[in-house]
Amino acid sequence: MSLLEKLEAAQRSQDVLQALGVHAIGATIDVAGSATEGEIAGNRVVLAGTNNYLGLTFDPECVDAAVNAVRSHGTGTTGSRLANGTYGCHASLEQELSDFLDARSAIVFTTGYVANVGTISTLAGPGDVIVLDADSHASIYEGAKLSGAEVYRFRHNDPEDLAKRLRRLGERASRTLVIAEGLYSMLGDVSPLKEICEVKDRYGAYLLLDDAHSFGTMGTNGRGLAEDQGCEDQVDFITGTFSKSLGSVGGYCASRRHDINPLRAQIRAYMFTASSTPSVIASTRAALKLIGKRPELRTRLWNNAKRVHSALSQLGFTLGADASPVIATIMDSPQQAADAWQMLLDAGVYVNLVVPPGAPKNLSILRCSLSAAHSAEQIDSIISAYSLVAEHLLSRPKAAAGGSL
Amino acid sequence: MGRVLRPIVMTTYNDCVAQIQQMLQSTVAKGEVVGEDVDLIEELGLASLDVMEVIEQLEDVFDISFPINELGDVRTISDLARRVQQLTDR
Ligand SMILES: Cc1ncc(COP(=O)(O)O)c(C=O)c1O
Repeated sequence: MSLLEKLEAAQRSQDVLQALGVHAIGATIDVAGSATEGEIAGNRVVLAGTNNYLGLTFDPECVDAAVNAVRSHGTGTTGSRLANGTYGCHASLEQELSDFLDARSAIVFTTGYVANVGTISTLAGPGDVIVLDADSHASIYEGAKLSGAEVYRFRHNDPEDLAKRLRRLGERASRTLVIAEGLYSMLGDVSPLKEICEVKDRYGAYLLLDDAHSFGTMGTNGRGLAEDQGCEDQVDFITGTFSKSLGSVGGYCASRRHDINPLRAQIRAYMFTASSTPSVIASTRAALKLIGKRPELRTRLWNNAKRVHSALSQLGFTLGADASPVIATIMDSPQQAADAWQMLLDAGVYVNLVVPPGAPKNLSILRCSLSAAHSAEQIDSIISAYSLVAEHLLSRPKAAAGGSL
Repeated sequence: MGRVLRPIVMTTYNDCVAQIQQMLQSTVAKGEVVGEDVDLIEELGLASLDVMEVIEQLEDVFDISFPINELGDVRTISDLARRVQQLTDR
């Protein structure tokens, strides 16, 4: 194969999607003034396929903080964290994250992807072992590969399979980094984190939790899945992102159990890429304060999620998991999912189309994500758009359906 | 994929080959056996997810874990059997 033949192969697989008759992947969204409304190909739509769980992207406090910061600190730092790119605001955000999570230390990265790749590839190295959940995010796989460690997968959300893998490692379990996520972003299912913690403690391994989708959405104080399941003291490392609940861009690693500051001089993705611009850090700090100050955002998010979940279940859809901010409906085929996606779009609702090979378990999925900023009327329109799909595309009789995976 | 055999205690290379051939039974006509050197993806036409599934079954049957760093090296039954046999020896 020549160097560029790979591109042709990639184009062919994109053509397969195009042949489904939709332009779902990389659709251009014009957003103006609202966390939940936009325009796609000339249609005004309710956005139900984002990660804007708390709806903070247009919150006046966050916007003002960003505007003030760009005026006083400029548009960019022009340097990496280790060189000239650490401003006071980066250090303050790290302190505020540590305080919020009750962590010993926290490190801020330019994106969540970079936080995972950098942290995982540096924590583990040749001679070490990584055991990761099979449905892990690409950045976790990438970090694991880059680490040079031996890498194993355990079956998705299966602590027993994890236990088997750790038992098989014998003494090497103590050099093992286990990796799991909190809320999984495609099916909306939640990991059995408490059990995973118990298993890794039994074998003396370490645990890194990627809490990207549960930070801000779960736990009494919004500290994520570990708070929700009461195992914060057992998690060794938490990574996360500012691009979901916090409504900006960036990532972090934090730890209650270990001082991670020495990693700063070792993580190449921290040392050799530019730090976040001050305006991004400023809106992130404002959003973090709001997570603490406004627990009603979480209540609203979950009420919206429960309403949609129960309505879609009644309409006869097969759902990916119990109610959570991500509600996946499992469709029969990629074509049916694509047709449904287009029908929702025509009805003024944007969700995500997820089809093989990029989908968990090779399923064809419509991913609907909720936001605290969705109004009751917007939730109504989401439900009525889905009822059109149910009426025209679902073959199952209503009474027999409404199952879960 | 075919049903798995009983767990095997002492494992030889031939045990592994037989086990894998048994698992691949459903991909060929009745009575046929996939040869040791047939390329599972390019010749037999399996998707890489099918190969993963075979490996997961082997992990259960032989009580081993197969490193995903090595997935790219597996092309044939013979490659797979040799590695599985080594892993059971650890
Ligand atoms: C589980 C998970 N981890 C990491 C990331 C990467 O985050 P970011 O968008 O900040 O790069 C994402 C989001 O894409 C994610 O879903």
